[in-house]
Amino acid sequence: MPERKGNGVLSRLAGVLALGLCTALPRTSYAKKMQPAPDWALSVAKTPTPDDAKNARAVLLSDGYVITVDTQHHAVERERWAVRILAPEGRGDAHCTVEYNEDAKLDYFRAWTFTTSGRQFQAMATDFKDVGVGGDPDMQFADRFRILNPPGADPGSVVACETERQLEPYLSSEVWQFQLPIPVVDESLELALPPGGHFAVSWSRHPPVEPVKLPNGHLRWEIRSMPALDLASTQAVPAWDALAARMSVKWANAAVDGVANQWREIGQWISELEAHRADPTPEIAAKAQALVAGAPDFYTRLNRITSYVQNNIRYFVVLKGIGGYRAHFAGDIFRNGYGDCKDKTTLLIAMLDAVGLHAYYLLVDTERGVIDPEAPSLYANHMIAAIDLPVGENDPRLMARVKTMGGKELLIFDPTDQETPVGLIRGDLQGAYGDFADGLQSQMIRMPVLAPDSARMTRKGSFLLGADGALSGDLGYTFTGEEAARLRLILKERSAKDVQQIWERSLGTMLPGLSLSGFQFHNPQGLDAPVNLELHLSVPDYGQQAGPLLLVRPRVLGTDARDVPGVMDGEARKYPIELSHPGIWTDSYDIKLPAGYSVDEIPGPVKLDLPFASYRSSVAVKGGVLHFNREYEVKQVEVPAAQATHFRKLEDAIMADEKGIVVLKKD
Amino acid sequence: MRISRGLIVAILLIVTMAPLALRASEFQEPTAEELKMTSDAAAPGASAVYLYYEEIDNDPVHFRSIYARIKVLTDKGKDLATVELPYLRKEYRITDISGRTIHPDGTVARLTVRPEDLMTAKSGQLEIARKVFTLPSVTVGSILEYRYQIHYDDHHFSSPLWLIQGMYYVHKAHYVFIPFENFMPHASEMSGSRILTDAKGREVRSLVWWYHLPKGVSVVQGVNGYSVDVTDVPPDPDEEYMPPIQSMLYRVFFYYESAANAKEYWESAAKDWSKNVDKFAAGSRAIKVAVAKIVLPGDSDEVKAQKLYAAVQALDNTDYSRARSASEMKALKMKEAKSAADIWKEKSGSSNDIALLYLAMARAAGLKAFAVKVVDRNEALFDPSFMSTGQLDDTLVLVGIDGKGLLLDPGEKMCTFGQVSWTHSDAGGLRQGAKGPGFITTPGQDYSSNLLTRRGDVTLDAQGRMTSYFTFTMRGQMALRWRQKSLESSPDELKKAFEKWIQPMMPQGVEAHVDHFLGLDDSNVYLMAVVKAKGTLGTALPNRLLLPGQFFASRGNEPFVREEKRVAPVDMRYAEEISDDVVYHVPAGFTVEGAPKNVTEMWKGHAEYVVKTQSGGAQIKVDRLLARAFDLAKPDEYQTLRGFYQKAAVADKSMLVLSAAPAGKAN
Repeated sequence: MPERKGNGVLSRLAGVLALGLCTALPRTSYAKKMQPAPDWALSVAKTPTPDDAKNARAVLLSDGYVITVDTQHHAVERERWAVRILAPEGRGDAHCTVEYNEDAKLDYFRAWTFTTSGRQFQAMATDFKDVGVGGDPDMQFADRFRILNPPGADPGSVVACETERQLEPYLSSEVWQFQLPIPVVDESLELALPPGGHFAVSWSRHPPVEPVKLPNGHLRWEIRSMPALDLASTQAVPAWDALAARMSVKWANAAVDGVANQWREIGQWISELEAHRADPTPEIAAKAQALVAGAPDFYTRLNRITSYVQNNIRYFVVLKGIGGYRAHFAGDIFRNGYGDCKDKTTLLIAMLDAVGLHAYYLLVDTERGVIDPEAPSLYANHMIAAIDLPVGENDPRLMARVKTMGGKELLIFDPTDQETPVGLIRGDLQGAYGDFADGLQSQMIRMPVLAPDSARMTRKGSFLLGADGALSGDLGYTFTGEEAARLRLILKERSAKDVQQIWERSLGTMLPGLSLSGFQFHNPQGLDAPVNLELHLSVPDYGQQAGPLLLVRPRVLGTDARDVPGVMDGEARKYPIELSHPGIWTDSYDIKLPAGYSVDEIPGPVKLDLPFASYRSSVAVKGGVLHFNREYEVKQVEVPAAQATHFRKLEDAIMADEKGIVVLKKD
Repeated sequence: MRISRGLIVAILLIVTMAPLALRASEFQEPTAEELKMTSDAAAPGASAVYLYYEEIDNDPVHFRSIYARIKVLTDKGKDLATVELPYLRKEYRITDISGRTIHPDGTVARLTVRPEDLMTAKSGQLEIARKVFTLPSVTVGSILEYRYQIHYDDHHFSSPLWLIQGMYYVHKAHYVFIPFENFMPHASEMSGSRILTDAKGREVRSLVWWYHLPKGVSVVQGVNGYSVDVTDVPPDPDEEYMPPIQSMLYRVFFYYESAANAKEYWESAAKDWSKNVDKFAAGSRAIKVAVAKIVLPGDSDEVKAQKLYAAVQALDNTDYSRARSASEMKALKMKEAKSAADIWKEKSGSSNDIALLYLAMARAAGLKAFAVKVVDRNEALFDPSFMSTGQLDDTLVLVGIDGKGLLLDPGEKMCTFGQVSWTHSDAGGLRQGAKGPGFITTPGQDYSSNLLTRRGDVTLDAQGRMTSYFTFTMRGQMALRWRQKSLESSPDELKKAFEKWIQPMMPQGVEAHVDHFLGLDDSNVYLMAVVKAKGTLGTALPNRLLLPGQFFASRGNEPFVREEKRVAPVDMRYAEEISDDVVYHVPAGFTVEGAPKNVTEMWKGHAEYVVKTQSGGAQIKVDRLLARAFDLAKPDEYQTLRGFYQKAAVADKSMLVLSAAPAGKAN
C-alpha cells in the first residue's frame, strides 16, 4: 500500500476504505513564486546521515506531526518531513505523497529540495500530480493521492515537505506509523487538545513512550533512531504491517482507558454505525425462509444461507466518505445483488435474523498479525461475521469456533470469501485477531487455528516403468478445505485451457518431456465437497540409465520443501516463518518396475515430529512394485523465529528425502 | 512521464469507444435461445461472450454511442457487469448511461444506481476521469445490456479507431462512422461549405482508413457513412511468449488527412521527421569545437565513430538518472534543449537527445551519418498502415564506415559500440538516407553477440556438500541489462537483484551470493559476476553419491506447454548462446560410476544443444551449450521448438553417479 510507505500517520481504514466525495478540487496552495525554505527545513537538511543508515537507499531525517483538535472534535493534521536520498533507488522515497478526499481536505502541500551543491529548489505546481487511489474494477475509490516529483532529487539531496489536511470529521483517532522501510532519525507527534480534552494512546510493536507536556499545553511523543523495516529480501515473513511499529492516538469519545475498553469502544462505534442496516425486509425474510425450508439440521440451514450470500452477492464497491465504514441497507444489497465486505456481512446478518439466528460484525484484517490485540485501533481492512452457535451444536464441520469472554460460542465466517465453506476460515484469518462488535459486550477475539485435518491434498499415482526408463500411469488428486478453496479460485478465475497449461508447466519442471492426457477436474457445486483431478501422464527417460544401473526417483512429483533463503543458510532469523495454513499433504505412488532389474540401493525412511509440523516418508519394494508414501502435516500457521533451526532441520530432511533415488541394477 | 502515457491510452479508448445511439433508449429483447444459453459452442470455455456490440460515430454532431449485449456464462463472466469508461474531463462528456440485467428466466433488473464519476489522474489542466457503474443482480446466465453516449466539443472533429477484436468472443458487431460532410462516401470534392484543418493548419483533403478484418468483411461505403458488420470474432490470442499482439488484431482506423493515402502520409511524415532531425543535429561551432577535442584528424572513420560514441555515452542520460522538471529548469535559468549543441553544453539529455547529439558530432567529424527512428519492439510492432509517427519510439544512428553502414545505439546507456538493444533490433521504422528518408527494418541480433558463460569447479565432500565459486561471464544483452540496472541501483541492491536472477538457476539446496562484479562500468569488456555457491548438491546413499549431471538449470527447465494450434509467433526477444563449463572434483574414496552422456540435439538453422563429458583422475568435466539463433519463431514452428526444448530438458536431468567402491570407467 503506497500510503504505508510514504506517510507516517494514517488511518488504515481511512486509507483503504473510507473516502470522500469526488467533486471540486481542494483549495490547496502551491508556491507561485520561489520562496526561501522555512527554518525548520533548513535546519533539518543539515542533519548528518547516521552511520548505521549509510547503506540505506534513503533516510528520513525528520518527520513531525501536529494534530490539533477543536472543541467540536474536528482535527487538523500538519506534517513536516525531510528525506535524504542516499542511492538512486532512494529517489522514490522522496516522492512525498499525501492522501486526501472530500472529507479530509488538503489545505496545503509545499516542498523544497536542498542539493549537495548547496542549491535550493522549491516545488512548483507542475511538480505535483494527483492520482486516484488505485483499486480494481470491483473496488473503486474516490480518494486521491497528491504526489510530489521533487526537483533536484539526486543522491545526496534532501527533500523537505510540509502538508496540512483536515481529518475526517467522523473519526476521532489516527495511527502514527513511525517505522518505515527506510531508517528514521527523528520523529514526533504533537497533540493539541481543546480545553478539557482527553486522549488515549496504544502502542504496537514498540514499548510505550511517555509524552512530554509542552509549555503551550501540547503533548509531544518523540522517537529517535528508528531502524528500517525492509522485508524485500526476506521470505516467508508475516505482512509488513504486522511487524512495523506504530502508535494509535484517540481523542473525544474514542479516548477511553485500558486496552479492553478501547476495543469495546471501537466495537460499540461499529454497532451504532451499522444499527438497523441489517434489518431484514419482507423480501429478505421470504428468501431466507425459502432457503432453509426442509433443512434437516443446523448446518444445512446455515450452509444454505451462507452459500446464497457467497454466490449471489457480487463484490463491488465505490468507497467514499462514511460509506467506507458503514454498510448499505440490507434491502438495497439484496435488491442490487452486489456490495462490499460489510454489505455482504450485513445481508448475511439480516438473512440469519430472518430465520431466528443471530450474527454480529467482526472487524478483521486480510493479513494475519496486522491487528495487534495490545493496540486497539481502526487499523483494519475487512469485515466478516461471527455467528451465534446454538448451545450443544457440535457438528464437526463447524470448525472455526471461538468463545467470547461472556461465554458466547461463535462461528467465524467470511461471506466475501466465495471459496471457503461455512465452518472453515482461510489461513490468513486463522490465529489472527478481530474486534467483535456487540454493543457493550464488544471485545477483541482471536480467531482459531484450525486442525490439520481441515485442509488436505492427496496425490495417488500408479505407474509403469519401462526398461528404457519411460514412465507412464494415472494420477489422482483430492483437495479439501483450504486446498480446495485455493483451487476453486483458480478454476473460477482462469479458463480450462489456462489451468491445464499451469498444471502442465508445473509438472513439466519436475518431469521433463512430460505428456499429459485425460486432464479432468471434478469440481462439485457445494463448497464442502472435495475437488478432484485426474490425469494420465507419460515421461520419457524418467529412469536414468547409468551403465548397468537404472536410477529412479520414487517421489514422482510434488514438493513439500520450502527453500527459505537465510534460514537455510543458518542465518539468525528475526521474524516468524509463515506456514500459510494447517493441513495434511500426502503422496502415495506405486511404480511397477521393469523385469530384469533388482534393487541395489534404496533410501531410508524419514520421520520427524516438531511442534509445528511433522513429516514421514518411506520407500519399499514388494512384488516388483516400488511403493512411495509420505505425509506432511502442518499444525500451526507460523514458526516462531526462535524455532528457525527446527524449521531448517525439517526442510533439510524434506529436501534430502525428495532427492532420494532408488538404484536398480540389471540382473 | 507516467501520466502522459496514461493519457494516450485514455484518449485512444475514448476515440475508440465513443459512438452515437440511434435508438438510445431501446434495448433488444432477448431470444429464447439467448436466455437458455449456458455455454457457447463457438467459444468453448468462455466466461462471457458479446452477443452484440454497436458503435456509432457521428462526427458532424460530435456525438458517439456504444451499445453492448453480453451473455454471462461463468462466475468469472460476472466481472463484465462492472463498466469503467475513461475520458478526458474537459474534452468529453459521458451521458445517458442506461443498462439492465436480464435473468435467464426473462426477468429484468434495471440500472438505477447513479454512475460514479471518479478521478484517475490529473496533471496541470489535464485530467483523466472515469465513469463507473455496475449492473444489478447479475447471475451466471444473465444477459447484460448497457448504452452510453459521448459528446465532444462542437469545434472538434475526430475519426474513430475501432478495436474489433478483444478479450471476448463477439457474435455480432455493427460499426458506423458518419464523417465530416466533405468526406461522406460518394460526396463530390469540396461538397460542403466548410473545410477541416489539422493541427498544423493544413487543409484536410481526405478521409483514409486502414483495416485488418476477417476474410470476407470490409468497410462498406453507404449513403449513411462507413460501416463494418462483422460476426463471429474470436477473442485475441492469449499465448506464452507472444510478440506485442496489438498489431495483429482486427481493427479499423480512420484518419482525416491532408495526405491522400498512406504512401503520401509517410512520405510527408518522413520528410518532416528528417527535417526536424537535421535541424536539431545541425552543425554548430560548439559541436565542431567539441569534436575537434575528441577526434584526431588522422583517426580512421571507425576510431572517430568509437571516440564520439564513448563521449556521448559518458553524458548524463536522463532516462537512467532523472530528467529536470520545469520548475528546476526555471530555477536554473535553463531552457529546453533545442539542438545538439544544447545537449552537449548541458552534458545531459534523454536517450533520443543523446542519439541526435551523436548524429551531429559524427557529421561534424566528417562521417556519413543518418538518423533512424524505430519502434520499441518490447512494446509494439511497426505498422506502416497505421498512419502515425507516434508509434516510433527510439532514435538510432547509421554511420558509414569503410563503405558499410554500422547501426549504433548511442542513446542506449552502456550499450557496447557496434551493438544495439534487442528492443531496437528486428524493429521497423524510418531512416534517413542519401536519397531521402524511407522505411527500415533493423537487423536481428546474432546469437554469438549475446553470450552467457557459467564456469566453476565444484568440490564435494562424501555427503554431497559443496562450497564453490562460479563466474558468470556476459556479453551483449545480458551484460547491457545488468549494467543498466547498476545505474539505477546501489551496489547492494544490484547484488540482491542479480542473486534473485541466478537463484532459480541453482540446484535445489544450493544458495548463491554475489561476491563481486568485474567490468560493470565498461561496456567494451565482458561483464563478469563472481558468485559463491554453498549447500548440499548431491544425494548420499550408503554406497553412492548421486549428483545432478548439469549444475545449472537451462531453458529446458521452463517447458513450453502443449498448444493444439499456435496462433501467434513465439517471441524470444533476441538470439543468444548460453554455455556452461563445470568441473566436479570427486571426493576421496569415490569413483565415477556413471556420467551424463554426450548429447547433440540440433534444430537446423534455429538452435543447438550440446553436452560433452570428460572424466579423468579425480574429476569430471561437464560442458553444455545451448545456442538459439532466432528471436521469433513462426506459429507453425511451435511444435518443433517445443520438441527441441523437451529433448534438451530430458538430457539435462541426467545424473552423475559416484561410487564408494571402485567401479567401471565412465562413458
